[in-house]
Amino acid sequence: MVIVKRKELSFWERLYLPEVFQGLSITLRAMFRKNVTRQYPEQKLEVNEVTRGQPRLAVNADDTIRCVSCGLCEAACPAYAITIDGQETDRFIEREPERFEIDMLRCILCGFCEEACPKDAILMSDELELADFSREALVYDLEKLKRPVSALQPRLDYIYKLSNRWNSSSSSS
Amino acid sequence: MTTRQVVTIQIDGQDVEVDASKPLVDALHRSGTDVPTYCYHPGLSAVGSCRICQVEVQMGEAPGRVVVACRTPISEGMRVFTSTDKAHAVRRECLEFLLKNHPLDCPICDKAGECDLQDFSFAEGQAEGRSSEPRRSLDKRKSLGDVIVLDEERCILCSRCVRFMDEVPKTPQLTVSGLGARSTISTFADRPLTGNYQGNLADVCPVGALTLKKFRFQARVWNLRKTPSTCGECSRGCSITNEVLRNNELKRIRPRYNADVNEWWMCDTGRFALEEHSLEGRLAGSMIRGEAGMEPASAREGLERVADALRTHGQPVLLGSAWLTIEEGQALVALAKQLGTEARFVTPPPSELADELLHTDDACPNRRGLTEVGMRAIDAAEALEAIAGAEVALLIGERIIETVGAEALAELPNTVRLFSFDTVALDVPAARAALGTPSSIERDGHWVNVDGHRGMLTIARPAPTDVATLIQNFESLSRLITPAETAGGAAS
Amino acid sequence: MMDDILPAELPLFAVWVIKAVVIFGSLISAAGITTLAERKVSAWIQYRIGPNRVGPFGLLQPLADGVKFIFKEELVPDGANRLMFRLAPMITAAPAMMCIAVIPFAGEVVIGNYNLGNLSITDLSVSVLYVGALTGLGIYGIILGGWSSNSKFSLMGAMRASAQMVSYELTLLLAILSVVLLAGSLDLRAIAESQASSAEGGIGVWNMFLQPVAFVLFIIAMFAETNRHPFDFAECEPELVGGFHTEYSSMKFALFFLGEYCAIIVMCCLVTTFFLGGYDVPFWDSAPWFIQLASFVAKAACFIFLFLWVRWTLPRFRYDQLMGLGWKVMLPLALVNVTVTGAVVSFGWSPLITPVLAVAALIPGVILFARSNPGEASLTGHALSEEGSAS
Ligand code: SF4
Ligand code: SF4
Ligand code: SF4
Ligand code: FES
Repeated sequence: MVIVKRKELSFWERLYLPEVFQGLSITLRAMFRKNVTRQYPEQKLEVNEVTRGQPRLAVNADDTIRCVSCGLCEAACPAYAITIDGQETDRFIEREPERFEIDMLRCILCGFCEEACPKDAILMSDELELADFSREALVYDLEKLKRPVSALQPRLDYIYKLSNRWNSSSSSS
Repeated sequence: MTTRQVVTIQIDGQDVEVDASKPLVDALHRSGTDVPTYCYHPGLSAVGSCRICQVEVQMGEAPGRVVVACRTPISEGMRVFTSTDKAHAVRRECLEFLLKNHPLDCPICDKAGECDLQDFSFAEGQAEGRSSEPRRSLDKRKSLGDVIVLDEERCILCSRCVRFMDEVPKTPQLTVSGLGARSTISTFADRPLTGNYQGNLADVCPVGALTLKKFRFQARVWNLRKTPSTCGECSRGCSITNEVLRNNELKRIRPRYNADVNEWWMCDTGRFALEEHSLEGRLAGSMIRGEAGMEPASAREGLERVADALRTHGQPVLLGSAWLTIEEGQALVALAKQLGTEARFVTPPPSELADELLHTDDACPNRRGLTEVGMRAIDAAEALEAIAGAEVALLIGERIIETVGAEALAELPNTVRLFSFDTVALDVPAARAALGTPSSIERDGHWVNVDGHRGMLTIARPAPTDVATLIQNFESLSRLITPAETAGGAAS
Repeated sequence: MMDDILPAELPLFAVWVIKAVVIFGSLISAAGITTLAERKVSAWIQYRIGPNRVGPFGLLQPLADGVKFIFKEELVPDGANRLMFRLAPMITAAPAMMCIAVIPFAGEVVIGNYNLGNLSITDLSVSVLYVGALTGLGIYGIILGGWSSNSKFSLMGAMRASAQMVSYELTLLLAILSVVLLAGSLDLRAIAESQASSAEGGIGVWNMFLQPVAFVLFIIAMFAETNRHPFDFAECEPELVGGFHTEYSSMKFALFFLGEYCAIIVMCCLVTTFFLGGYDVPFWDSAPWFIQLASFVAKAACFIFLFLWVRWTLPRFRYDQLMGLGWKVMLPLALVNVTVTGAVVSFGWSPLITPVLAVAALIPGVILFARSNPGEASLTGHALSEEGSAS
């Protein structure tokens, strides 16, 4: 149990009105401060590789998907947003997704999938906008998720830089 | 089986009573000590080839020696140390040696999630190998017949598969061929594997080297919900685990250890009976005869048609399927009594794959149980004869249409009022209504196998909506027909 | 009044109609503008911009809001008393709007050749009573709305609102009474003129300075009377969802809103009339009517701003604090103030000494209050014992 000791008010504070005026003066001053509003559709948020936007799947230069449908992102996703069904492929990686869906309405943009992915196949893009007329349209399938790896390269470099820093500091200690 | 001889040994400083007829590793596992094993399988002879189960053992005053636990017999007064530096270092080196040529590409591998090698590598926590030589490069997709694919790179040459083929179905087909780093598992002259027990190879393989063609790369094992159940493909009634993906598709059936029935094994007939539970063509609700043939309707409407026919026509023929549980059998017998008729069940033709090990020639999983509750077994011909002479006939239970024969049913004149309760719709001229019923992975109950052993069914996935269990249907039917008899005039 | 300043050309009836339409129309638009102002002020206080999409600087936002309200679905909850449920918003809005009829906005209006008489819809000789009666009526709408919704939240909101309004109406009227005593009239125009130096018998000092205590009490009580922050117990979202209008939607909800804002405007007009000399323009006795009107509007606008400013500054009171404040602080203060004023008037002393006397009489009380036993429910949050506990 915690005993909360109330603050003993001074005579001046108990008069109440002086405190009211103090409050009013604070809000009055606030009125003349610079405002922080961003006029969204015209004034977009600046994005760069640090932006953790919606997850996207990297597609190699030869148009093959990197994902091996290992299901680690599916397992890591705290929002249960990802659903994957695998299939066999003749490519070296043996397995690729047959179905890969991210329910963008469930996705909380946490980036766990990116962190879990052993193949650098799912990456947090800088795409932030999400609007449509039905819930179904916001369940993104493989085609909607594919992005050329070149578009995601800055992010890839960035997360490698991050994990390098993490690795080196852990080995030095 | 060797008899149990209880002796006392010391495991990591604790005195434990163990069974001396088993190898040391069994005692370790039973006492809850975690020692990895790859080549050791409790159902196979031990060879001690992988060396991963090494522990330190002290006898009397002699200094401790490192031995493989799977090949070491137990003797009174043994002191076993599983986690001393010495034992641990040996196992770790052993692991590193195994991983020298193992790709460790678990994200792709189908075994990931239930792989002993993966678990132990993870526990040891060394992510990178120290050797600079390339790994051996072998065939990653070597077909071993219709059932199994071998990934030679992943194989750790534990020889469990070889021993399984030798010892369990006693059809030696596999061997370790080649020498040294070029050793691989192969069949003679690359002939495909044969036999009804190949599926077990994927289970005994401790790594992802042997995989099922039918399951490969389709689902991650941690996404499968596993429910204990009983196989319904023959009267052996092997204990199994049904593995269902996303509450929907039955992806895999695996044997469940049951010392009295199937131990660790099951046959391929049972293992690949996945289509029996496919959701395609499943009947939800009911189909009832309308103007333009069979039309979809609710289960309630279908049931009312059945009740109407039962009310207006005497002496209905009640034919149960061989897959009824004893609980359903009892309910059917009670209903038959109320209707003043006899409850019978239709047996499918005997299986040709019968063998000494597990698979029997009787395809009824519950012949004993249904006979015990008072149902008489008849074959399809006898069943058709009974139907043809009746005004009303009820075909009850999953696979009943298939057992009696859809073509034969189509021949029946439509003076016979035919009603079915099956997972699929009955669409023959004589059919008046067809109701859906849960398949054996969607309901619970018990089957009694050929030896009198009771096997349980549990619900692995929900039945489609608007599908009632047979027992519920029997109860509703009995309620629907009762008032007509006692107060028939008042009701109309 | 009206009849002794009959315009030469326009019939009396026409003058009434014109004035009524113009003044009522202005009130409604002012209410609309106040809603916009409210959103703008709240935005500025929170470092935001506020509505700026509809029209230049968002000026057409009230219109957009109105359109939106009209198109919203009207719901009447199950088990509601339908007649009362429909009537309640009107009963709330109507009295607030009717008060505007007696507010003197300016002196005689002369446009070209036409003399339209004084700028108010009508000049009642007992307009203070009229206003007092009508402000008291507003609570019926709230009670009926809360009760007829068949919702516990609504009913509780309504009950709290009525208790609060009854408590603060006393203070409000006592504060007005001091002013009435000084002016010696129940006519709003007479009260306003009594503070103007131009008027006959006027002493040229606003009541704000003659009656500082009444002024402060009036301001506090008018917040409570209009159910505004920090006294908005009728709606109190964290406790009562929406309070008495939880179940209201569409235009019926808009009417409650309109009523609230009209009440604010009327209160601001009243405080201007009672304490700020009404349309008096300082140091310019012969100001033309439109300057007078501008002066009135400017004064009232300041109070409207005060309403908004206070709303976005102060947190809501606790209910027991509210009652304590009303009965234990404001009412005694008002009574003392009326007594002092009465004495000054009946002994025929100069009204200029009322503030001195009133403040002198109040000091001991204020000190006593501020020293009061913290174990008791008091204004400053000592209702709980010193060792309030949390686990
Ligand atoms: S960002 Fe997070 S929530 Fe979204 S899909 Fe990835 S893991 Fe799931
Ligand atoms: S973690 Fe990466 S490789 Fe694995 S399924 Fe997800 S996107 Fe594909
Ligand atoms: S066999 Fe096991 S350790 Fe090897 S890749 Fe497969 S899951 Fe990983
Ligand atoms: S498990 Fe003991 S040596 Fe392989």
